Amino acid sequence: MNSEAGGGSEEDRPRDDEILAFHHAIRAADAEKLEFVGDKEPLSVLAMEYEAGNPVFRAKVENLSQTYSAIRRARGDGNCFFRSFMFSYLEHILETKDEAEVRRVEKNIEQSKKALIDLGYQEFTFEDFLSIFVEQLESVLPGRETSVDIDLLVEKCRDRYISDYVVMFFRFVTSAEIRRRAEFFEPFILGLSNMSVQQFCKASVEPMGEESDHVHITALSDALGVPIRVVYLDRSVGADGKNTDVNHHDFVPTEGSNVDIPPVVLLYRPGHYDILYTRTDEDLSHVGRHDKVTGRQLVKEDGNAAAQNVEELNYVQAEAT
Amino acid sequence: MSTSTPPQKTLSRIAANRLQKELSEWQINPPAGFRHRVTDNLQRWIIEVNGAPGTLYSSEQYQLQVDFPENYPMEAPQVIFIQQPPCHPHIYSNGHICLDILYDSWSPAMTVSSICISILSMLSSATQKARPPDNDRYVRNCRNGRSPKETRWWFHDDKV
Repeated sequence: MNSEAGGGSEEDRPRDDEILAFHHAIRAADAEKLEFVGDKEPLSVLAMEYEAGNPVFRAKVENLSQTYSAIRRARGDGNCFFRSFMFSYLEHILETKDEAEVRRVEKNIEQSKKALIDLGYQEFTFEDFLSIFVEQLESVLPGRETSVDIDLLVEKCRDRYISDYVVMFFRFVTSAEIRRRAEFFEPFILGLSNMSVQQFCKASVEPMGEESDHVHITALSDALGVPIRVVYLDRSVGADGKNTDVNHHDFVPTEGSNVDIPPVVLLYRPGHYDILYTRTDEDLSHVGRHDKVTGRQLVKEDGNAAAQNVEELNYVQAEAT
Repeated sequence: MSTSTPPQKTLSRIAANRLQKELSEWQINPPAGFRHRVTDNLQRWIIEVNGAPGTLYSSEQYQLQVDFPENYPMEAPQVIFIQQPPCHPHIYSNGHICLDILYDSWSPAMTVSSICISILSMLSSATQKARPPDNDRYVRNCRNGRSPKETRWWFHDDKV
């Protein structure tokens, strides 16, 4: 080998390690600006964000504030769906003190564990991740030595170790559900990429930082049995070109629990998820009620989801008025 | 041959526990063609690789050095060939390996054992013994002893 060959122009360019160090510095600076999950903020902060922005966005943010009261941002590091889900679900248990729900989800976790083992995962590869999540679940129930309040929950969800381990546990669960029901998920995966189900799980589910799509959300919701609402804030308008109602899609687990509003409500803006807070019943009484959109039909693209939901919502609203 | 390691913090408790479990599993059920050389260093494994029969590397022996970061398995280990690295289109003469699962596509769901199997499969599917086309330039740029984890890799096709 001729490692001493004369230096070419590549010597003038920044080296890979310098470029990477620069990227890491940018990411670290971003991280300081925003925790894994931020503080709860009134929805008016969104209106401020789009003040000078696209008119469709502005109208939609205005509509959004009729149904939702607050937002909690998640860091945009590719894990935002899972981090948002983690916080939103744990906060829901903390507020409802619903021990039966914790026991129910623990049974689903046992099923996921069996699925992983059946798929050939060795238990030691996922047990640490599983037990960290179960610890968090137990900690949001009242009356235990390890019980947390909302401030401590926020603190834990901002802890890199806890947050990353729970995110990774969700990635295991999601991957196992997709592979267990490969026939169901295959057409949707082919619509997103050219990968087989197994390749998709290896490349787009199991590595940290890989962004989540409808496939991930459906799989996690089904596996844990937790309904998830995703509210879409994008530029799309209804079929008439004017409708700026905000569309949402409810992912309802196969073994459907019948709820009006799912315990986890996320705001989706292209490429990113944050947590939304629904107005309380009293706040809602003067606002047109949005009915549930069934989550069983999985949609391949956000555009389709939005268009479909526009139709369904229009229909529902026509019924309601 | 540089075998320098990045500045390393000692393993976290959870990383050390996890590696103990991997080591026990390895002792019961090692991946075919590999042998872990026993040391008292949990954070650096030296692994012997035997080229698979019927491939270009049949009956050849190589050594892998696996260094684990403080927060393994959230973060990938650094895996390089030491001594004489095999001559392969994805392996540089300084021992660095161009394989996506060691960098961007690493997942905490993987293990040392699954890394070994991927590396052996990469060796076995080679159709010619050759260095990567950019070997000299790359190795020259690594002279300061940097880790392959500080490379921005462009992954070659996965047929080889």
